Amino acid sequence: MLIIPAIDILKGKCVRLQQGDYSKVTEYNDDPFLVAKKFKELGAKNLHIIDLEGAKYGQILNKEKIMEIVEKLDLDVQVGGGIRTFDDARVLLGKGVKSIILGSSVFSDIDLIKRLVMVFGKEKIIISIDVKNGMVMMNGWRKNSMNSLDSVLTDVKNLGIETIIFTDIKSDGNLSGPNFDEIKKVLESGLKVIVAGGISSNEDVRELKELGVYGCIIGKAIYEGKINLKQCISENISMKSGLSKRIIPCMDIKDSRTVKGVNFENLKDAGDPVELAKFYSENGADELVFLDVTATIENRKTLYELVEKISENINIPFTVGGGIRTREDIRRLLNSGADKVAICSYAVINPEFIKAAAKDFGSQCIVVSIDAKRNNNRWDVYINGGRLNTRLDAIKFAKKMEFLGAGELLVNSLDRDGTKTGYDIELLRRISEAVNIPVIASSGAGNKKDFLKAFNEGRVDAALAASIFHYKKTTISEIKKYLSKNNITVRL
Amino acid sequence: MIQIIDYGAGNIKSITNALKKLDENYAVITSPSQIRGDAKIIFPGVGAAGNAMDRLKENGFIEAIPRLKNMFLGICLGMQLLTEFSEEGMVKCLGIIKGKVDKFKNTPKVPQIGWNKVSFIKNDPLFNNIPDDSYFYFVNSYYVNADENYALGKTNYGDLFTSVVRNRNFYGVQFHPEKSAEIGLNLLNNFCKLC
Repeated sequence: MLIIPAIDILKGKCVRLQQGDYSKVTEYNDDPFLVAKKFKELGAKNLHIIDLEGAKYGQILNKEKIMEIVEKLDLDVQVGGGIRTFDDARVLLGKGVKSIILGSSVFSDIDLIKRLVMVFGKEKIIISIDVKNGMVMMNGWRKNSMNSLDSVLTDVKNLGIETIIFTDIKSDGNLSGPNFDEIKKVLESGLKVIVAGGISSNEDVRELKELGVYGCIIGKAIYEGKINLKQCISENISMKSGLSKRIIPCMDIKDSRTVKGVNFENLKDAGDPVELAKFYSENGADELVFLDVTATIENRKTLYELVEKISENINIPFTVGGGIRTREDIRRLLNSGADKVAICSYAVINPEFIKAAAKDFGSQCIVVSIDAKRNNNRWDVYINGGRLNTRLDAIKFAKKMEFLGAGELLVNSLDRDGTKTGYDIELLRRISEAVNIPVIASSGAGNKKDFLKAFNEGRVDAALAASIFHYKKTTISEIKKYLSKNNITVRL
Repeated sequence: MIQIIDYGAGNIKSITNALKKLDENYAVITSPSQIRGDAKIIFPGVGAAGNAMDRLKENGFIEAIPRLKNMFLGICLGMQLLTEFSEEGMVKCLGIIKGKVDKFKNTPKVPQIGWNKVSFIKNDPLFNNIPDDSYFYFVNSYYVNADENYALGKTNYGDLFTSVVRNRNFYGVQFHPEKSAEIGLNLLNNFCKLC
């Protein structure tokens, strides 16, 4: 979230108004430049400047003061107040103002906004929406535009705008806290929302960040010492781990084709793993896994060619597995562009191989894939595609693989594979708790709740699924939205 | 022109793939004598710091790199090697960025694998058109603990660490922009377009 300290300029001085009332002026400093410089020293990267006279009279009247700040300080400055013409905008943006803020013109000059967005780009144009009792105000908050908030949000989106400043006028300048309920409604518009008005404690800032607002403009609270800007900025830098949980579509490959039916209308060829990989990576997949299910020596060469093609076409990480038995196999897959390799049966047959592979290529690219099947109170490790029970205990085996240098574990449940009845949560939790390397859940995903359970109860770091995605039972973004709503950190 | 230093520490294929997507001319170089004055340099790397420093020494890069005036981007281990010292193998590094490399301490799982947020500390042309707190793909067990003056971006994985650094023409990023979807390509593109 952007922390944007505010400077309002009136008659060349740095002031604050209360609720936009020009008769309730508090002067804070004679020189706005010194204030901006101080903000920068405290760690600010952004600055919000309003020309209050400009807003009142409809033309920019404190341009020199503003430009001094923009030119001398390396800050991302957004400027508003009195910008009414294309030339006003061109001059400011041309001189290094990061973005301009328009308010009243939404109602008086829609063509101007359209033209500005087209010429300068949507990231340069911010619309300020100032609301009093559900109605949008204009002309320095003094006039009711007679438009409701909802209708203005729709209009603004239709104009191609992506960022707005939302000010609840009643909250502004009286340190009473922002109007959180109203802000939640505004966020539903899908626009990037910068909140202004009433932010008066670090707690308010934290809450806004939690809500997912894009930025917050803080004025009076800084001037009055209610918010320590430096502390606020450092707190805003993720206070807890931001690592997201990963969603990983898996593709089984046979003779360079994806097997396990794939059901997509919008792909030219749903059986082509390259097409499918592109589709998933463009639609929110965090990683991809490819398993060569034939894994015969004759097929190796075509597999390398396929891996090369995949790596040229996507730019998210991917893992390739199936039939890996030598360091040369690994080297060739990595050189073809794979980021990691998954080793299954051979990790059981020759565990020392994992140690050698981790030493040569680094743990980060060695994934051990475990096929486990429940047997009364324990899970046995199977090999050869689930045909042979090794009688090894899956939990102990997982720990051993970590010890030998595996960087991640991919945990399959033979009981759940293909059943769509949910992951084997107990197996996942037991392994996740036993090791200190990331664990990827596999086998059994049938709906979005299964993913949530895998993360919350199975304590895994990533969840893999195949048919649920191939058959379009759900989409990655749908799952991620659901997880996000349930407080799981995901990359949206 | 982009030149990629190949000193035998890790795979450069995904970087060349990304540069191809950006339509950038590139060449892979293995010796300092190949460095062109007008090129921007990408310095990748995965694996252990000690081993990588040994290889840089063999190839003569240890003396050459700190003297470069070229725009320079260290990625992952390539970023860590720009600091003064790495706890991984207790090895002296290139000393371009004031700071050292530490092992994660307050994290449940090492290595960190996956997408994490980068919070910008300073504005920089490297971040053009990239929103603050964007996700990038990380794979690391160690992290850079840099002097605040050099930090451009930070990330939290239990420990708060410096994920983007800069000193003059030298940049470093802990994440893999070449594996970080569109946003990563944007960052690489910004680097390629720096003057």
